[in-house]
Parts: sequence; structure tokens; C-alpha cells
Amino acid sequence: MGTMRTEDFWNREHIVEKFWNGLKEGVIYARKCKECGSIEFPPHMACNSCGYHETEWMTLEGKGVLKTFVRTGALNARLELEDMNLKYVCGEVQFDEGPEMNAVILGINKKKAKEIEDKLPVRVRPVFFDMGRYTTLFFELDE
Amino acid sequence: MVHNVKLGKNMRSVSIVGIGATPFMNVIENPQYKGLTNGELFGYAALDAMEDAGVEPRDVQYFFHGSANPHVLNKCITPNIQVADWCGMRGKGSISHSEGCCTGYIALEEAVFAVASGAYDIVLTGGCDMGCGMPDGNTPDHMRVALTSEVLFPDLDSIFDRAYGRYLGGGPGMNHDDWINYYAKENNLSADVIDDVLNHQAYHFRRAAALCERAMRRTTYDELAKEAGFDDVWEYMKSSYNPKMTQYLRTASDSSVADGAACCIVVPTEIAHKFNAKPIEVLATAGSALDAIVPHLEKKATAEAARQVYEQTGLTPDDIDLVYVNDFIGSSAFLAAEEIGYLPKGEGWKYALDGRLAYDGDKPMNTNGGRTSYGHAFGASGMADIFEAVVQMRGEAGERQIKKMPKHTFLRGFGGAQNVRATILRANF
Repeated sequence: MGTMRTEDFWNREHIVEKFWNGLKEGVIYARKCKECGSIEFPPHMACNSCGYHETEWMTLEGKGVLKTFVRTGALNARLELEDMNLKYVCGEVQFDEGPEMNAVILGINKKKAKEIEDKLPVRVRPVFFDMGRYTTLFFELDE
Repeated sequence: MVHNVKLGKNMRSVSIVGIGATPFMNVIENPQYKGLTNGELFGYAALDAMEDAGVEPRDVQYFFHGSANPHVLNKCITPNIQVADWCGMRGKGSISHSEGCCTGYIALEEAVFAVASGAYDIVLTGGCDMGCGMPDGNTPDHMRVALTSEVLFPDLDSIFDRAYGRYLGGGPGMNHDDWINYYAKENNLSADVIDDVLNHQAYHFRRAAALCERAMRRTTYDELAKEAGFDDVWEYMKSSYNPKMTQYLRTASDSSVADGAACCIVVPTEIAHKFNAKPIEVLATAGSALDAIVPHLEKKATAEAARQVYEQTGLTPDDIDLVYVNDFIGSSAFLAAEEIGYLPKGEGWKYALDGRLAYDGDKPMNTNGGRTSYGHAFGASGMADIFEAVVQMRGEAGERQIKKMPKHTFLRGFGGAQNVRATILRANF
């Protein structure tokens, strides 16, 4: 009684840390619901598709489609990307495995945006982007 | 997301019997208002609400204080403590809450729960934010300076998920234009048509604000165009006087940041007539919240909250006479009105274009001018909409009174990347 170390008694996963460390290695971690099979991305403990409490680790290829996107302006520009002089849009990306997210898609200037607007959905692939202290997940056109 | 929430009926019905609100203003720039403080703004709104309900501070048993960003705008983290003495509530129970720009709508929901549960009979609730300024260093609250973009812009990201979404970046960038972009594609509308729609909507909301003494922007676009030398107001609306701030939104469809407070008093409906001859019953409030990483979150959360509140009340969109939508993203106004069924599917844009959403139109909404014209004091804005809804439902809106006396009003709160609330009020007299 009371002899177990606290760290042995309560030893839970570091989900956020594992996700970001994965991106550093070029691995995209997600979790899969043990009941309904939906993919939880970015990863959390419970399933937000069906409301079941348990999910397990899996990885995503990172390829998918860009379904809609918007260009940003003064009011909603991503300052950290502007500072790096990057051309980008923000849009709805659906992974081939199913989950969707609002994402940053690099390499799209105004001209390119016009060009792809009528061709949506278009294929995208992941970009593991070094932000200095962490690596994040952006996308680019898979042309 | 799971769609299985079925709202129950409150243990007892609750009604709004008193309202109070300051104007939405710029305390830094307006010499008459310069020097006013957070405690005074909340206090004046609270005392006005009490007077409207015919009660004294001693009669009020509990209060809720809402504020979107007390730390940056007011360098404090428990504003309820700091405003209590300003409305005679010293020693009473109270709570601070903060749900971004949805705060003022949630303020009503929380107060209703407090009375519906039977815990309290007379509850004050309200919101206050001084969005135009910030403390001038470490000084008393009457000393404020303009909020600089160096402070504001980096802080805006505070509403986005720090585990993932803020750093994956797409959600924050989609925040303003996601829904209007999706709608334009869905309905095959060109960027020029959307531009016209949003300009007409802003034009008509401004006409309402011009007639609303508490509104912040009261100069009509006709007058502004004339001052700038334009004969045609629609040319002005598309000119550099009204520049694009995002892909779709011009400044006329962006919120006018303000300082202000608004409050109300709620009591059990069974005794409401003792306080006010025209009580407004809160039939139900439903909630849905989706993080900014979720595509089309505003549309999805609005639909879910509307589903719940209609199901609970047994009402349909045909029963709704008046709508308020938190439209700090200007396009949200007609989009949300359409999503909740107030406007026919796929046709909301025509109603906006034709001015039918104006206070004198056949589908009135945002009769105070909305966030783009009435102003946006963040956590207070929702309660300012409730204030205006009650004024309209009592038939006391003067020149901007809508044509048909509203029996049911639908309020769609939104904010904090993003909370959504759907509330239906009923004139109970």
C-alpha cells in the first residue's frame, strides 16, 4: 500500500511531444480509434469521430488533396511565414487515409492560385518544414 | 464530431427583466469618455440593468462577468473581483469567464443556468472589454493608451490551439474567409458578386447604426462617399477608401474595435412580471465548439447549435422574426442567417444584396449595425446584441424599430476560435 513510485503508478503517453518529434524525423503520427477505426489527426487520446475513449498509434503517408483554399491578407496573414518571404495559401487538406485539416500549402503565389482554383481538388504532398526550434507540417502541390 | 446532444428542458423557465449598456466607443480618442475604466463601464451597464428591472444592488444574488482578454487589455485575470464593488456586489458570489468574442452570449447562458437550477432568483450577467486600449504601463485604470499592433497582432494567436493548430498554421489563416470562400464555390458566385454582396450588407447595417445612439460608427456610407468626393456610393465601397483586408473582406466588413459594456438581469419567468411589464423569456441556448483546425468549422458548429436549439424549443426557422449574428467577420452575418434557416438555402446572398436584411427590410438582422458598425468590444458584444434584441422585442427601438413586432429572436454567438451558441428569445407579454 503506497509503495509504488508515482511515476510507475501514473505513466501516460506524451502525445503532443511524440507528434512534433515525429515531424523532425519525417514521420506523421496519428491515432486510430479502437472502436470505429476513424483516424484522429492531429493525434489525441479519445476519438472525436465517434466519441470512444481509446485510440492507438499509427502513421500517415502525408499525401492527400487540397479541396479548398484562401489567400491571406493584412488581417489574417501568417506573420511567421511572411517574415520568411514564403508564398503560401491556407486550405482544407484531406489525407488519403481520410482525416481533414486546415493546413498551410507552400509555393502558391497569386498566379498559381488562380491556375489551380478551377482544378480543385489537387494533389498535395507533405513538407517537413524547419521552424528553428521545431519542425512543422506544411504541404506543397504534388505536380 | 458526434451529433447526439439533446437539450433538456430547464428546471424552471428564465426571463430577462432588465438591460443596460454603455455606448460602444473609443475611450482613448473620445475626449468626453477618456479616463473611464473597466469597473466604471461594467458598473454603469450593471446599474442601468438593475434600474431597468426595478431592483437595487442589494437584491441581486450573484453575478457573472465576461471579458474576452482581461490579461492583455486590462492586465488582470479575475475581473469579477475588480468590478464587484462598482455595482454594489461586494461580498456576493461571482465568476469571471472568457470565451473570446462569444463571451457575451455565453454570459446569458450561464446566468440562465444559475436561475434555472433554482440556486438563485435574481442574477446579473454582463460583459466588458476595452478593446481600443491597454494599460499605460503599471498605472491606475483611468490611464490607458492605444493598443498597438505590436501588442495586438502576436496576441491574436492566443485563441488558437497551442498543442497543434497554431503551429500547423492553416486554421488561423482560414479564420476569416473559409466560409465565404466555401459558399462562393458552392453557389458558383464570382469574387465580384461576393464583393457586391458584402458591400451592400455593410451599407445597410451602417444605416441601422446611424440610428442607434450606442453605436460606434454612425456616419452612413452615403455621407462618407460624399465626403470623399464620390457621387456613387458603390464606387466608394470598392475604392481604396475601403481596402481589402483579406481575400474577400474589405474594412467595411471588418469589426470596429470598441470599448464598452453591456449587462442584463435574469429571474424566474414565473415572477418576471413583478420586475418588468415586458419580460423576454430565454427559451433555450445550445452550444457547439470546434477548433480552428477543423475545415468549415463555423458552418458546422452553427448548424449543430441550431439543430439542438430548434429541437429543444420545437420551433422552426419560420417562427423566427429577428436574428443577431456575431459578425466580426462580416460575411458571417448572412451566412449564419442562411445556415439557421432564416434565409432560403443558397439565396442568402441575394437578401444581403437587396438590402432585405436591413432593419427596415423583410428579413431584419443585426439591427444595431452588427460588429462592423455598432462596434466590437469583444466580450461585451454578445450582450450588446442581447440588449438590442430586448429593445426591439419590447418595441422600443424608435426609428430603427423593425416593421413586425418580433415574437422570437435567434442569436448566433461566435468567437474564441471558435465557440458557437444559439439562443432563442421569446417576447413573453
